[in-house]
Amino acid sequence: MSQDNILRCWPVLAALGVTTVPLLLQLPVWIPLLVLVMLGLRGWMLWAGRALPARWLLLCVLTAAVLVLWLTTKTLVGREGGVALLSLLLGFKAFESASRRDWQVLLALGFFLAGMPLLFDQSPLAAAWLALSLLALTWAMVLLAGAAPKGSLRTAISALLLALPMMLVLFVVMPRLPGPLWSMPHDQKRASTGMSDEMEPGSISQLIQNQEPAFSVVFDGAIPPRPSLYWRMMIFDDFDGRRWQNIRGVTQERMGLSGGDAVNYTLTLRPEKSRLPALEYVEGPSESTRMEPGGVLRLEKEGEELFRYRARSRPQAAYLTDLSLQDQQFYRRLPVGNPQTRLLAERLRLQGGDDAGFVRAALEYFRLGAYRYTLSPPLLDGDEPIDQFLFSTRQGFCEHYASAMAVLARAAGLPARVVVGYQGGEYNPVGRFWQVRSSDAHAWVEVWLPSRQQWLRVDPTAAVAPSRVSEEVTQAIPALAGGGAAGAASANWWRPVRQGWQALSFSWQQWVVGYDASRQQGLYQRLGLGDSVDSAAVTKGVLIGGALACLPLLLLWRRQKGLPPLAEGRARIVGQLARHGIAVRDSDGPLDIINKSRRLPEQEFKQLKRLFKRYSALRYGAAKPDSAQERAWLKEARRFSVTGKHLARGSPPRT
Amino acid sequence: MLPFRKRLSGWFIARLPRESTCTLNQRRIYLLPTRFGLSLIVVALAVWVGALNYAVSLAYALAFWIAALLLVAVLMAYRQLAGLTLSGARSEPVFAGDAASCRIRLSHEQALERRLCLQRADGEGDIVDCALAPAASLDVGIPQVLAWRGAHPYPDLRVWSEAPFGLIRAFAYVRLDGALLAYPMPLADRDRNDHQEGREPSAAPRPTERDEFSHLSEYQQGDTPRQIAWTVLARRDVLVSKRFAGEPAGAGLRVIAWQDYPAGVDVESRLSRLCWRVLQCERSGQSYCLLLPGARIDPRPFQKEAALSALAAYDGGQPA
Repeated sequence: MSQDNILRCWPVLAALGVTTVPLLLQLPVWIPLLVLVMLGLRGWMLWAGRALPARWLLLCVLTAAVLVLWLTTKTLVGREGGVALLSLLLGFKAFESASRRDWQVLLALGFFLAGMPLLFDQSPLAAAWLALSLLALTWAMVLLAGAAPKGSLRTAISALLLALPMMLVLFVVMPRLPGPLWSMPHDQKRASTGMSDEMEPGSISQLIQNQEPAFSVVFDGAIPPRPSLYWRMMIFDDFDGRRWQNIRGVTQERMGLSGGDAVNYTLTLRPEKSRLPALEYVEGPSESTRMEPGGVLRLEKEGEELFRYRARSRPQAAYLTDLSLQDQQFYRRLPVGNPQTRLLAERLRLQGGDDAGFVRAALEYFRLGAYRYTLSPPLLDGDEPIDQFLFSTRQGFCEHYASAMAVLARAAGLPARVVVGYQGGEYNPVGRFWQVRSSDAHAWVEVWLPSRQQWLRVDPTAAVAPSRVSEEVTQAIPALAGGGAAGAASANWWRPVRQGWQALSFSWQQWVVGYDASRQQGLYQRLGLGDSVDSAAVTKGVLIGGALACLPLLLLWRRQKGLPPLAEGRARIVGQLARHGIAVRDSDGPLDIINKSRRLPEQEFKQLKRLFKRYSALRYGAAKPDSAQERAWLKEARRFSVTGKHLARGSPPRT
Repeated sequence: MLPFRKRLSGWFIARLPRESTCTLNQRRIYLLPTRFGLSLIVVALAVWVGALNYAVSLAYALAFWIAALLLVAVLMAYRQLAGLTLSGARSEPVFAGDAASCRIRLSHEQALERRLCLQRADGEGDIVDCALAPAASLDVGIPQVLAWRGAHPYPDLRVWSEAPFGLIRAFAYVRLDGALLAYPMPLADRDRNDHQEGREPSAAPRPTERDEFSHLSEYQQGDTPRQIAWTVLARRDVLVSKRFAGEPAGAGLRVIAWQDYPAGVDVESRLSRLCWRVLQCERSGQSYCLLLPGARIDPRPFQKEAALSALAAYDGGQPA
């Protein structure tokens, strides 16, 4: 193929390549790799001038590839399958593109492809790559339309920048619908970063090292003290001797809160299995959430989209409920085994006296019992894991302590359950929000006190390692904080950077990724566009915003209309002269113009002569254009005007 | 072109006046998305629907960015035509049956480069592609076959541009009031040329020093070096010959007359033969005089053009 074809079509292939790259992280790697190889091969064919392969051959290869795709992902629809299929089809389309129209179709598909990675990732980085893809595609479009390579990048950039304000206005103003048009099958494969469905010592230890943000919280007013930030997420009510899980043994539980001040807050997260964390103890469900027995919040509908909800909790309240005898029985169930633990429970029960006394005695036992908080405890591989932990290894983290405490309480005849969630969080002073990470995951125990009819929160981990609750995990565990002074120093400079980045991603989450119908309505009210997002408000927004967004366009228009300074100044002077009946032809030089203007009033004529003397010097005298001087001259030329009205009425134009 | 589009463009054109110069502005420029532009609109819609369904906020941004880009493309396509001035330039006359080049001058004063296409409005003939530098002017020729002699009006033109993205086509119809002149198609008439004048063209008298200078005319084969106006050649780089007053004197003058043919010969073949004979004389440097009913073209500067134009414009005794 000709040189020109290479110049026009290579950019299209390159732009598609750039667009495909982020899919490497999201799809099975061979699919985007295959697409990239195909694009490269097509580019080589253009360069080598090879003919396109026969259509039946393409069809065969395509069928094979789609078959492999179907065998590996088991689906061709939905998010992953659909995106993979589309990118494969795009790669094959490149082998079918010969005419300019084909390439244009390919490019249009590229714009669609650019949106695909967003289904998986909406981080600021993904947005940056989207902008890069758009630039590449637009540049390819300019070149494909036949522009000269020089200046084509500029055209693409300026067009995108001019479109940017309009995009922002549409982004903010165009109404968002509260729900989807049709529901899509969710991919089950998605890596689960959060909580597991059961608790077996060791399963949370992997989480603690994971610094990934779990959710973020903004408090409306006063922030409760850090030690009382227990984010309740789920409860485990059944113990089989080794592992805790939730078998929903109690389906109804009336919850009453007494005392404590209420706090309002907004929580943002990507729910997993529709679990929502809430500060203990939440008063009731808000919109599109429901309350499950055990005081945990759940999302009404399944969904993995970013979700934001407001809640109202009373952290200092007492959780009152009256358990039926049957329920009490359920919460006391304990498999046989762990004899030493049972003995210890008896002893503590006697030591403490009543039920509250037992809890106190148990916590005291943990505090003084030479237990050590560690993230890498020895394995509990014996037949009696609780005995092994309490009496021989004595090392563990929240899971171990919570599990042991719950078993102790049950052995002592008190209803008890394990609560799993998060504890604490990190306050971000830049973004003024609380960031809770996977590493803040925590497990604690609730013991039901018959005397008070209350579920009492008991956190044995806090008794062993008080700093785990009052500070962050990284501080509580020396190994995580980094050893020695060097580690501390590096943490010092690193912290503001990290917090800045977090604040950025928080606002990103809040205002870009999480910009939904409710947020839009709030913004409409704040901007004074209207109380709700109705057609009148949207029209108003589009009109006002559109007008603002067009300002850069106007500026561009005015700027590009301008001629070089000398030409513009000459045109201005000629225009002035024409208004007063002196016609100047394009071919007239400075001397001709001066000659024609002899009938101007004295002063103006002198000015004109001066102007054109400098014009000649600048235009013809200078070896090299002096733009500063030229602009100065233009400024002067703009001031030239013929004021005398008598001239206009005087002699008719001489042409 | 589809019949519907033909009718539509016919309607556009019928509304336009003929004008010698036309500067395109918002009243003349039409903007429509190209097929590529339409497909990108579809893509933007698809991305938007996807954003809606998956609640992907950034996909909204992508959809709106594409939409905004289309709007910017509309403006940029409009700018490709806005402020462009078209006027008829001097078009060389041709002989009937030949393709004339209908010269159009494109000019503008804006500081942007334009990429333009021109074609006859009826969609026939080649598309002329051109690039216009900032604040410059350019002459382009639209090929047009002139089937018969006489003055032909300039064809109705369509000028368009899809630059810079190929998404939006800006187009305008233009009717310029210039004329293309077609001389009669020459028809060999060797007998009459030879039997009237017994002399060979090569025997034409050579000018002498004493002859009085009359005018300059285009160099023709056979002109002696002494006839060539060397000063003009040096100054303007064109080859012209001096003609002298004494040259066509007396017997040298050949008369080419309408009356040379019997009454039965029809007008067009008469004119074609006369045309051939004029050309023959011009080629051989023979001086001649063309006699038409109501007109007489004697030797004079640009006699060839005058004679051929008279033949082209002949309309039954009342030459224009």
